[in-house]
Amino acid sequence: MASINDLAEPEHTITWCPGCGNYAILAALKKAIIDCGLEPHQTVVSSGVGCCSKLPHFIKTYGYEGLHGREVAAASGTKLANHELEVIALGGDGDGLGIGVGHFVHACRRNYDMTYIVHDNHIYGLTTGQTSPTSEQGFKSKSTPDGALEIPINPISLAIDSGATFVARGFSGELVHLSKLIAAGIKHKGFAFIDVMQPCVVWNKINTFEYYKQKCYKLDEDKKYDSTNKMMALAKAQEWETKIPIGVIYQQDRPTYEDGLPMLGKGPLSKLPIDNVDMSGLLKEYE
Amino acid sequence: MRENNVTLKIAGEAGYGIATMGAMFAKLMQRSGLYVFGESDYPSLIRGGHNTMTIRASDEKIYSLDGQIDILIALNKKSVHEHIEEMTKQGIIIYDSGKVQEAQAKISREDVKMLSVPLTKIADEAGGQDIYFSQVAMGALMALLKMKPEAFGQIIEQTFEKKGKSVIMQNKAALLAGHRYVMKNDGVECDIAIRPKKNLHTLLLGANDAACLGSVKAGVRLIAEYPMSPSSSVLHWMAANAKEHDIVVKHTEDEIAAMNYILGAGFAGVRAMTATSGGGFSLMAEALGNGGMAEIPCVVINVQRCGPSTALPTYTEQADLQFVLHASQGEFPRIVCMPGDVEEAFYETFNVWNMCELAQTPAIILLDKYVGESIETVKYFDLKGMEVKRGLLQTDEQMESVKDFLRYKVTQNGISPRCLPGQKNGIHVCSSYEHDETGFTSEDPNNRIIQIDKRARKLSAINPNLYQPAFYGNSKSTILAVSWGSTKGPVLEALKKLKRENIEVRFMHIKYASPFATDTIRQALQSASKAIIFEGNSEGQMRNLIREKTGIMIENLYCRYDGRPFVPDEIVAKIKEVMEKE
Repeated sequence: MASINDLAEPEHTITWCPGCGNYAILAALKKAIIDCGLEPHQTVVSSGVGCCSKLPHFIKTYGYEGLHGREVAAASGTKLANHELEVIALGGDGDGLGIGVGHFVHACRRNYDMTYIVHDNHIYGLTTGQTSPTSEQGFKSKSTPDGALEIPINPISLAIDSGATFVARGFSGELVHLSKLIAAGIKHKGFAFIDVMQPCVVWNKINTFEYYKQKCYKLDEDKKYDSTNKMMALAKAQEWETKIPIGVIYQQDRPTYEDGLPMLGKGPLSKLPIDNVDMSGLLKEYE
Repeated sequence: MRENNVTLKIAGEAGYGIATMGAMFAKLMQRSGLYVFGESDYPSLIRGGHNTMTIRASDEKIYSLDGQIDILIALNKKSVHEHIEEMTKQGIIIYDSGKVQEAQAKISREDVKMLSVPLTKIADEAGGQDIYFSQVAMGALMALLKMKPEAFGQIIEQTFEKKGKSVIMQNKAALLAGHRYVMKNDGVECDIAIRPKKNLHTLLLGANDAACLGSVKAGVRLIAEYPMSPSSSVLHWMAANAKEHDIVVKHTEDEIAAMNYILGAGFAGVRAMTATSGGGFSLMAEALGNGGMAEIPCVVINVQRCGPSTALPTYTEQADLQFVLHASQGEFPRIVCMPGDVEEAFYETFNVWNMCELAQTPAIILLDKYVGESIETVKYFDLKGMEVKRGLLQTDEQMESVKDFLRYKVTQNGISPRCLPGQKNGIHVCSSYEHDETGFTSEDPNNRIIQIDKRARKLSAINPNLYQPAFYGNSKSTILAVSWGSTKGPVLEALKKLKRENIEVRFMHIKYASPFATDTIRQALQSASKAIIFEGNSEGQMRNLIREKTGIMIENLYCRYDGRPFVPDEIVAKIKEVMEKE
């Protein structure tokens, strides 16, 4: 069994800003991986490009640091190639919900057995502070000095409607709670989406640590809430203005995409031999 | 009487089953021991328009059509007149006298014969429905070619096997009725006969299928693709054979996803590919560079069509060469292969898989609509010696004892040991950022140079014998014809014609644009007194590449960029023109 120390990458200096919410997400992810009993070499953390996407370098599992917004697409390929791997994709609200939102929607539909964490700070950080798809209407930034004209994406209701079978919201200020959410997402069989509220201490002066601290409440303390009820979940997904629910918002059992692929029955594709493929059957129709 | 040499064109609206009929006739010719070449021409629509399929069959090996038709099956009025200039002397046009009135069938050439057959009426009377009119036409064709209709009956049985007995019966009844009609109402003499010979051990297929077969032989396990003409048949073919060969076929949300899927899959250790045409390839460009930087082997098939943008979606062009050579920002090694025919599409695709896994970098296979969708008979594939080679991919046993694994280790030929997620002791990040030997992001200037140079060296590890151009014709001739990709067929056909006139030409067919066989190509050009290059684009993209690599500018350039393939006669004329030049 691996321990937290096995996941450390001491030689890789973390380059996030002091006070960034990414530190807590990294810590929560590590704890979740250990709590789930995963082996580091059988785990792939797959990211795109953005502040959060540097994370694979700060955790000692296999990592894939691809292109901005394409983390879910590349991670899907990895999962199909070797479905025995534990695949955890992560992205930001800029790459995952902006340029890559198409991949997100379709991965939800397909219900690949993987986990997708969005580090949602409502702003583009690494490109020095522009309005993102989750920035609130009227949000002022370098790209919208007069305030954003459009309304934000609601990642939670989008994920539920698109077919994700595990939809949760976490807060980087609630590390233990977040870690449990990620662990539940990893254990969930199907596409687990976790939208993590994460203050950007440099660029976002609206959605701050204090902002979330005041508004967030834990959904699991509400005994009447039924996360398997889709209509209830969609209604809960609308809460934002005055209070923000964190926890598992929606959960459903549905066969995964991999379950529907008979070609995975002999084990991972990556382990099937590829020498001496018999061609006689295929060539017959051309004779 | 001319024996065993015929060109048939079937023409009409989309939805008439023209491609099916053409494929069936081609099959019959193959089974009759002849060589076959078939080409389809269709606009971008599903019903209506003007579609053709042309099949040339001969008892000598043929490499392309010849621009002429002996027999035309004209399924509507337009078809009667559209192809009149392509008809050979004494050629025959079969038309449906139920649909086209006699006055409408008045043609401008006296040396072409008209054969009116009430196709739909006969189909109706034969107990089927009028949709079997095409089989009536095939029956008429059998009579003209002095063939037994029973031979075609077998092809019908195989083609419609899955549709059930009654469909087969009705098709056959229509076929026999068409045959009877022409035998009874003789009036048009056909001076061509097909006398079936011993079945050669051949395969009849197009290059898209051949590239699929080459990939299956190479052990492809995952295809991610978004449909786009003329590459969609790769998706369909793979989907149809997926279960049998343990291949996951994913129709992704777009080409960006497709390319990123295969990178993620290649990282995890499977041979993964995508296929597209130029528009989709444009969307893949960024991820292609990701593959180059992160050193992920993968194969992209680009079946070229006319560009830029939507252009002529179902017509052929060779104008993506410079694009695929340079697509994506920055510099990285890539393999670019341009198979010229069905055999090369099979064998070279297989080779390319080994090359890209050896060099751990993306490969592009450039086909085009013409070679991808045309069909030809080729020798049954020789599968001996086709060995899958996975380069420096480490086994679990090798990884067991490894300490401080360096995924991007700097080596003499630039190739580093590669391990896969799931293997112990190899943990690393496969990164789109510049990185050091471990895979960790590095912006250090020295490391940057070291890693760029390391990647650039990798192509030098590929055995040069694997990417040499092919030479045809007379090696002693100082007249050199040059081409690449699908232009090979029409040039070979032109060489046959020139030889008949005692004109000897040397022909260099370039199969790889990267790695580039610079020395061989330079030598061939230096030893020629006159050279001409044939290309399916307007700029002479290969001519420019050759100049860039060898410093030699080929003086004569003949381009075709009307969306149609080269015709042998125009190549013959151009070569003669060059020879006459002082």
